[in-house]
Amino acid sequence: MTQDPFDKDQHLSKRMDEYHVEIPDFPMKPNRWIRFINLLASPAKDPLDPLISSTDGLLLLKIAPIITTAAIALIQTILIL
Amino acid sequence: MRLNEREDELMVAYQNGDNQALEGIYTLLKEPLYSFIFRYTRDEQFSIDIVQDTFVKLQRYKSDYHPNKGKLKSYLFQIAYRLMVTKLNRRSKWRSLLPFLAPVKQDDFHHSDRITVREAVAKLPEIQRAVVILFYYHDMPQEEIANILGIPKGTVKSRLHMAMKKLKVELEGDEYDAGSL
Repeated sequence: MTQDPFDKDQHLSKRMDEYHVEIPDFPMKPNRWIRFINLLASPAKDPLDPLISSTDGLLLLKIAPIITTAAIALIQTILIL
Repeated sequence: MRLNEREDELMVAYQNGDNQALEGIYTLLKEPLYSFIFRYTRDEQFSIDIVQDTFVKLQRYKSDYHPNKGKLKSYLFQIAYRLMVTKLNRRSKWRSLLPFLAPVKQDDFHHSDRITVREAVAKLPEIQRAVVILFYYHDMPQEEIANILGIPKGTVKSRLHMAMKKLKVELEGDEYDAGSL
């Protein structure tokens, strides 16, 4: 294909031209420490998300610490007695 | 002097030990490389990392470049594309293993608004997106795109055709909807 297919479609070309990219200022040499900080600061998926989204899951999330505490207390009581 | 010739001359100078020439190459090619990666991923920090890694690789393997095999710009785009694909694949593996540790893409699409060209390009399948970006925004001929992506020229042609069809549907369909409101 020697011809630019976008030339035939002026409307599409016009819309494509709307896509501008702003180039930030950054050095050539990478800084590992800054990369690590950026990785820590980047948004990640919440592991509790599936639980929070349902009422049963939310209830489980609320009573789980109580059940855990009760279980630990029971184990301690059994061990002492 | 044409820009490509200037880049290639700087690279030859750099290969002959002129470290200042590398700065010149960086100044000339940082912007096109960044805009290619950014349009592909829409991730600013990721794009910066890839551009920096590309130049690290260029410095490490500077003797591997031969001006008679192709332009420096294509050579750097090829390195950047391979680094980007490797990093994206690694990220997606991490995402499936430890979803709460891998960075997630922030989807800032607003479906109620008129679709922008940014969104339309981002919605293209990855294999078509790279072709469109290189062809339209970087004025690269199909042979050069085929060389960068490591695919036959015919595949470039068909992917470009498919991508244009999808872009037309996304952008012109949206225009039609907006007009009918």
